[in-house]
Amino acid sequence: MSFRIGATVLLDINGRALQSYNFNTKRILGCVKNVLSFLDDYEVDEIHLIIPLKGKGVDTSKVLTELKDVSISTPLSVGGGLNVKNIAEITNDPYFERLVFNSLIFDDNEVIKQVSLKMGRQAILAYMPFILHKNTLKIYHSKRNKFINVSDEFWRNLNSLCNEVILLDADAEGTRKGFNFKVFKFLKFPIDRV
Amino acid sequence: MILVVNIIDVGLGNINSIEHWTRDCHLFPRRVTNIDQFTNGPIIIPGVASAGEYMERLKSLALDKEIIKRCQSGQKIIGICLGFQILSNYSEEDSGTNCLGLLNGVTRYIEDKKTHNGWEDIKIDTRRVKHNVSFPKKRVKKIDGRVFFNHELMIELEDDVYTHILSNGITSYAFKNNIFGMQFHPEKSQQTGQDLLKLII
Repeated sequence: MSFRIGATVLLDINGRALQSYNFNTKRILGCVKNVLSFLDDYEVDEIHLIIPLKGKGVDTSKVLTELKDVSISTPLSVGGGLNVKNIAEITNDPYFERLVFNSLIFDDNEVIKQVSLKMGRQAILAYMPFILHKNTLKIYHSKRNKFINVSDEFWRNLNSLCNEVILLDADAEGTRKGFNFKVFKFLKFPIDRV
Repeated sequence: MILVVNIIDVGLGNINSIEHWTRDCHLFPRRVTNIDQFTNGPIIIPGVASAGEYMERLKSLALDKEIIKRCQSGQKIIGICLGFQILSNYSEEDSGTNCLGLLNGVTRYIEDKKTHNGWEDIKIDTRRVKHNVSFPKKRVKKIDGRVFFNHELMIELEDDVYTHILSNGITSYAFKNNIFGMQFHPEKSQQTGQDLLKLII
């Protein structure tokens, strides 16, 4: 087993692909289907489609179900703003292999357990943007839209519920700083599943 | 003539991806939700689900017995990931699940409940296969590429089958007569996945 080259594609509520800089500035790249098709042709190892939810009235399931006819042969994960209702809709006839969770790991384990029963635990992926300031690790909570300290319970949930974790260095995102590998010292999660 | 492939649809699994995969290989996918919808073409049992729930739904629709019957009559069966695991006799998933028993063996959690995600090499040359496997007579006889794995359970077979065991002890695939089981996801293995489907159908 070796490193995988993964591509994380951010989506806005109109289904357009976004480029993100430093976790606060976003630029529209264009049609997500073209982006996926390009990444598929390029043969990246896997693609994660994330809707970075902010504000009311965002319908994740609508955005995600519109992508149903996307024909790519690269492993695909989707996530962002998932809840009981839209999970039932999008897992009914999935075109992806895995679901990506963030705030539900903090808040509502039952939903993830239900998905696990339906799709298997191998289909559960955690999305963890982080910042590391003054030797303190903070993880992004998408529902609260802020970076928070994590409890032992969070790590327990992560270990028992999630198959793998995507770590995103929010300080370095879209910059040339480089990933802060010091984060590995703070993780209470098997390194081979990161 | 376009070959129709039967894709088992019990409301679980990444059926959309399987449909795209088969269409890309110039096959015609047909979703099978009850026993009257089968054709005589190959039967694909998809992955991305858990064994307990999947077997329960198969049984409630009587698809389990129909798949066994059709397999015994020589119809080609392609099991992918979970679809491969449920070809065994028993799976440890969901506190223990009795499976189809088309391949002698059991499905266990990977040691220490580890996970196996990522890409592995695959090489198949049908001219060198000594086991009885019903590969179609085609000009393309071998593949050499990489395939995508994403699973937490692995199958341990007792049958003498044409198989490949990875260095970590995981059975990558097992082919026996008209049964083609794959632990990886060929539908998400890019060009190699398409080559593989063309090789076995």
